[in-house]
Amino acid sequence: MGNLFGKKKSRVTEQDKAVLQLKEQRDKLKQYQRKIEANLMRERQVAKTLLRDGKKEKAKVLLKKKRYQEQVLSKTDNQLSNLEQLVQEIEFAQVEARVIEGLKTGNECLKKMHQMMSFEDVERIMEETQEGIEYQREIDELLAGGLTEDDEAAVLEELAQLTGVEEAGNQLEQLPDVPMDKLPEIEQEERRKERTEEREMVLAS
Amino acid sequence: MASFQWPWQYEFPPFFTLQPNLETKKKQVAAWCDLVLAYHKHHKIFNLDVKESQSSPLFNNTKIDRKLSTDAIYSILEELRVKGNIEWTDKTRAQCLVMWRTPEEWGNLIYRWASGCGMTNTVCTLYELAHGDDTKREEFFGLDDWLLKRALRTLEKQRKAEIMSFGTSEGVKFF
Repeated sequence: MGNLFGKKKSRVTEQDKAVLQLKEQRDKLKQYQRKIEANLMRERQVAKTLLRDGKKEKAKVLLKKKRYQEQVLSKTDNQLSNLEQLVQEIEFAQVEARVIEGLKTGNECLKKMHQMMSFEDVERIMEETQEGIEYQREIDELLAGGLTEDDEAAVLEELAQLTGVEEAGNQLEQLPDVPMDKLPEIEQEERRKERTEEREMVLAS
Repeated sequence: MASFQWPWQYEFPPFFTLQPNLETKKKQVAAWCDLVLAYHKHHKIFNLDVKESQSSPLFNNTKIDRKLSTDAIYSILEELRVKGNIEWTDKTRAQCLVMWRTPEEWGNLIYRWASGCGMTNTVCTLYELAHGDDTKREEFFGLDDWLLKRALRTLEKQRKAEIMSFGTSEGVKFF
């Protein structure tokens, strides 16, 4: 409760502070490089102008200066490379530290789990389970062979009765087959004659 | 950088005089507000000096010989202040800070970049964020220091980052 209104605990480590200082140094070097590069471009243009105007000596001095600045640029490149390598090594070491911390936590968790359930406990539980299975099997056997001879006879008698009822029912259901013979056909001509006669009679009336 | 596209109103002389009709004036001020923000966004300008701006192309169209008055400029800037897009830097209201995006929006953009580049649990310098080689294509590249810090403070409130400041060193660690 005391920390309720207090400042939150910082998540920034001492290594982070070191990395920040290195990165700031890197930024300053980059800014310095940009400045030199801008100077080099400008001086190249000035040297061209001086040569065009015939001021060879001044152009020579300027090119010497330019050469020196190029060497400085090369040195800063090396320094920058060293700085960046150092930063990467620190950052990778931090990642490794987090991985190791994770493994440590995992191992501790696993140990606690093993403490909760020892080998002896598992063996005992398995034995108890086996005993339970055996006991259940015995009960099943008792139930399966639990009928007396009288019960068996009664069951068979009931079965015979049921079979008799079913047979009687089958006899009632036996009906004669449907005849398959074709009916005699009246010839078509006779039918036609009959129709015409009927029509004539209707017309006459 | 492509040239800035002026809206059609910029070539319309009455646009440079605040209209007496309330409805018309409302639309006019809204159009000016959009123009001010669009202009600053395009040129990545984060500060506005009222005196200097009178002669800048923003409020002065030499082509049609029209210029917005100081009172009109203040009316527009006041509207932008109400919307939360500008803040006066002094009581005399001579200069203001322009925000075409809120600090929260800038913060989200920065955090999206940090997450995308795997920069969480990593320290960054403020220079690296606003002027680094890795952020050249990002919208927050070239962001003014005051706005960058304000954007990072919004991330700090969300516990997505922590601003580091000791001695002359200033940076941020993302989480």
